[in-house]
Amino acid sequence: MTLSILIWLPLAVGLLAALAPRPLVGQVSAVGSLATLGVAISFLVRFKLGHAGLQFVTDKMWISALGIHYKLGLDGLNVALVVLTAILFSVSIVWCAMREWDRPRSFYFHFGLAESAVLGAFCAQDLALFVAFFDLMLIPFYFMVGMWGSGERVRATTKLVIYTLVGSFFMLAAAIATGVLAAGDNHTSLNFALSALRGLPLPHASQDWIFLCFAFAFLVKMPLVPFHGWLVDGYKSMPIPAVAVFSGVVSKVAAYGFLRIVLPLFPYASAHFQTLMLLIALVSIIWGTLAAFTTPDARLVVAYSSVAQLSFITLGIFSLRPTGAQGALLQMLNHGLVTAPLFFIVAAAAARAGGSELLADMGGIAFRAPVLAALALIVTLATLAMPGSSNFVGEFMILLGVFQAKSAISVIAFVGVVGAAVYALRLFITAFHNRTGPNVASRELALPDVAAIAPIVLIILVLAFYPQFGLRRSEPSVRAAVAPAQFQAGALGTPRRVALR
Amino acid sequence: MQNLASLRVPALDASFCRSPTRPGPFKAPALMTATTAAWLVLLCPIVGTMLIAVGYARWPGRAAGWLATLAIGLSFVFSVIALASLLGHSPDHRQLTSTLWNYDFSAGVDAKLQILVDPLSVFMILVVSGVSTLIHLYSVTYMNQDRGFSRYFSYLNYFVFSMLLLILAGNFLLLIVGWAFVGAASYLLISFWYRRTTATRAGIKAFVINVVGDVGLVIATFILFKHTGTVQFLGVFHAVPHTFAHNSTPIVLAGLLLLVGAFAKSAQVPLHTWLPDAMEGPTPVSALIHAATMVTAGVYLIARTHVIFEWAPTAADVGAIGGCLTLVVAATVAIVMTDIKRVIAYSTMSQIGYMIMGVSVGAYSAGLFHLMTHAFFKALLFMAAGSIIGAMAGDQSLDRMSGFRRALPFTFVCFLVGGLALSGLPPFSGWLSKDDIIAFLDHRGGFFLVLGIIGYAGALLTGIYTFRIIFRAFFGEPSPEARELEHGHLAHAEVPRNPMTGEEEDTDVGFPGPGHFIAEREWPMRIAMGALAVLALIGGLVQVPGIDDAVGKFLDPTFADSKFAHVQVKAGPAWLGLVVGAVIAVIGISLAYRIWIAQPGTSVRVRERFGAAYVFLSHKWYFDELIDFAIVRPALWSGRMVEAVLERSLISGLVTGGTSGAVRAGSAAVRRAQTGFLRYYAALMIVALSGVALYFLLSSS
Repeated sequence: MTLSILIWLPLAVGLLAALAPRPLVGQVSAVGSLATLGVAISFLVRFKLGHAGLQFVTDKMWISALGIHYKLGLDGLNVALVVLTAILFSVSIVWCAMREWDRPRSFYFHFGLAESAVLGAFCAQDLALFVAFFDLMLIPFYFMVGMWGSGERVRATTKLVIYTLVGSFFMLAAAIATGVLAAGDNHTSLNFALSALRGLPLPHASQDWIFLCFAFAFLVKMPLVPFHGWLVDGYKSMPIPAVAVFSGVVSKVAAYGFLRIVLPLFPYASAHFQTLMLLIALVSIIWGTLAAFTTPDARLVVAYSSVAQLSFITLGIFSLRPTGAQGALLQMLNHGLVTAPLFFIVAAAAARAGGSELLADMGGIAFRAPVLAALALIVTLATLAMPGSSNFVGEFMILLGVFQAKSAISVIAFVGVVGAAVYALRLFITAFHNRTGPNVASRELALPDVAAIAPIVLIILVLAFYPQFGLRRSEPSVRAAVAPAQFQAGALGTPRRVALR
Repeated sequence: MQNLASLRVPALDASFCRSPTRPGPFKAPALMTATTAAWLVLLCPIVGTMLIAVGYARWPGRAAGWLATLAIGLSFVFSVIALASLLGHSPDHRQLTSTLWNYDFSAGVDAKLQILVDPLSVFMILVVSGVSTLIHLYSVTYMNQDRGFSRYFSYLNYFVFSMLLLILAGNFLLLIVGWAFVGAASYLLISFWYRRTTATRAGIKAFVINVVGDVGLVIATFILFKHTGTVQFLGVFHAVPHTFAHNSTPIVLAGLLLLVGAFAKSAQVPLHTWLPDAMEGPTPVSALIHAATMVTAGVYLIARTHVIFEWAPTAADVGAIGGCLTLVVAATVAIVMTDIKRVIAYSTMSQIGYMIMGVSVGAYSAGLFHLMTHAFFKALLFMAAGSIIGAMAGDQSLDRMSGFRRALPFTFVCFLVGGLALSGLPPFSGWLSKDDIIAFLDHRGGFFLVLGIIGYAGALLTGIYTFRIIFRAFFGEPSPEARELEHGHLAHAEVPRNPMTGEEEDTDVGFPGPGHFIAEREWPMRIAMGALAVLALIGGLVQVPGIDDAVGKFLDPTFADSKFAHVQVKAGPAWLGLVVGAVIAVIGISLAYRIWIAQPGTSVRVRERFGAAYVFLSHKWYFDELIDFAIVRPALWSGRMVEAVLERSLISGLVTGGTSGAVRAGSAAVRRAQTGFLRYYAALMIVALSGVALYFLLSSS
């Protein structure tokens, strides 16, 4: 079974759903997404440990004149993320399938398209192919906001389009430049396969501007402060399942892009701009944390917490240490697993608070809903990275990596750790505890919500006992991806050694 | 499937750290190895938690409570087995580790799911599981009519699991896990009555201050890992003297950060403000968490990492001064508080101050001995207070309690025993243990002598505030509730109210249940309190200067590498200290007698005479206000600033507005051409792609 089956299966299911009789559309999509999950798990099971290189490689020449390959493969960097994608899309589609939607055929088609694009972006091993999937990924989300969104959906769509369009443009330019300059400087024919590009280092000056273009595109997509102007309207307007997968995996594609593309291809620039990136991440952590303190909207608390968490991930990657990068990769998995159920929980809470997502309208929801409250509590504690959760191990590794590289930045970043406890508990307490709000009708979870939330909570609990699951597959690949940049960072700045003994 | 293969348990068998092959010469035929017993100690409460949580509403009657009690009781049994097994090894071989599987074993970090079983951890699990069993038993009655009965016991079991994990952890990462679990369990139990706003506020406060402590521990671990390359206790402790220069900056920093963790968990100044508020939780919770177990975690931490503190004496001195400061601050505040549970809470802070001071200066066995006796008499005091609160139908104010001596004879005796032990009167346990610490301070002399003298001053205050409760609650004219009870009627509130704010409540989930209970009528409460009263009375006799030194001898192997290992206070000075301590306790108690019994009204006169001091103390030295002003308000203010001002004007206005303005001009043209944005997007993409591609293709050829 090749990776092509994995990445195109969701789109095929989407097309099938679009042709299916109306009452069956949801079921077809749900079964299809579970089949995709099964395929993804089969790859996870067959994945061989201890290898840095690619496995299950598909490599075909796509556009030979431009040296663009249709090349897919799995290694330690993406195997867990592929499974995460399949999990989050499955629960989201199952959640949708138990509800009524306007124009369901089109809705599920877009969902399938989105899943294919995300899986494609994770599996792509050719720079041009990655860019293609990266841009394809957004199109279904434009439609989902525009057609099924709520509130200010026109404004949200406009902002989303503008921001990501600008980002994509920079990335496109940078990707083409990478291939062309690499071929030109080294007098080889044009080749966009990542493996080939790694062997053709670019001169420092080119690396610098190309790095900035990629970084801009990725930072907009994650998003980090100050590139997050689309976030509030976008997250507010997206339908809940769409925002769950967007925050859960689409934002991770950008973070993954740093590890897969930027660090290995532009090691000099990565080291050169290390401090800048760390500072952006640091500001973004504090900004996201502070905004999450005070925002009156439950969904936006989750949105801003995602900003802070993705900033931690960026921090880990730009520690340019295997510890930090390992933590970042683990945290991508962890954050996906907490943010998606959090959005479903916010939706469930809003449904019990007269449809309002404002924290002021909630309160006392736990009263007649102990199961909902218990699930929410577990997810909340994982979100604030309480030690004992896998999220803590991720955060620990990230901050340890940064501590090894730049101790001061790591220590300041702990503000975000304490802050996370404040905003996460604030969300939980004001929604579920305290006196019952005037419009609150507390009732236990219904089956669709349980089906979406409970499996993920189970995964969170299992990972809490065995976080090594997320760490052991990735180590060789992460070391290989970080090594050139780490070497450059060592060569650039002579790290100050504390005199001991 | 490979990952399942690696999950197989590699080593439930004990591996000896000091000599991997040779078992101790005195190995007795034990039931099981000490490490197996220790794993079972951990397993019982976590299984209990899960069973109760999964069964939730299906457990009939009080089954959840009995199940929880059984789980902790079994933990205690396995702790005893671990002790027996450990005693079967020769003293040099009483340091065992055991690993289940890799936890965070990557990129140089070597954290496994590993426990360390040595005299210190066995001593602690014995105290924790033993006292916890009695508190569970007490709770089965105390929470009898609460609608959250099952939830309560699953939290309580989870708490004990966390505490045991903290103690048994074999590396810094697992220690932090247990440390944070304890904080989370404490949060859950403090805000157990979750519809009370006061309780949820107290809960979040406790949690956040505990997270500050966690952060201290994490950064300390970073420093130690950076220099020693390991996070395992034995590895770090072994490496510290070779890696760091004596009292050099990094090791002092690590020590100070460990202290941040210890102070946050043990409620030492200035990270103490959560503890009095934590009295919002049910009374058995106060007994369990905020007296017997959780707050002693800081003492345990310093004892566990004593190698670091001895290599960084500056940090150790800071710890000693912090503990000393706390014991004074807390004792002074305890004198003016009117809420009975808060008085005991401040007393706890003060007593933990003694322990922190003790273990910081090297009086390890004395500090841990006081930890043990304090667990007995403080849990007893809280339980007795719970019985009075039951008789008062939930009211906790000392101003309204009076004359319960005849109405609650059993509770009175228990409270008296606990109070005498706390005040340090012979032959009660607190007398022997507290003065053990002070004797060590005096023995070290110099600056430590000053700390010892302050310790005596604290002892005087202890006698006063302890007997203030006893004289006010049990003596004098019986209050209406006491009089009714003498006629056999237990008081019952017309409308249940929050004792702190007076808000009306109902008795459904999230508020306290309708029933109130007193020890005189409920056998589980009597058994728990009776057992603790006996322990508070005679528990100190295991360590009497010149006669017996059971605790010290047992703990010796853990502290064999300490530079204070051979410091021995001679029997003479030790007994002198004990006599001085007893005299001070008597003076304190007689002062209290004079103020509240012999010459009633003295307290009012003193309050009027020293008005400013009274206001200062009743505002608890203004620590809450200070923290609010220095940290909470600025954080909230900057949050609002970011959210309302920067987000709206800078990001939405300038950045987005500018960009979208430029694009809107373009899109207007597009709209005129009847084109959707998607087509526009696609077109732009293609144009851009071809343009850029063309440029580079041309320039590269």
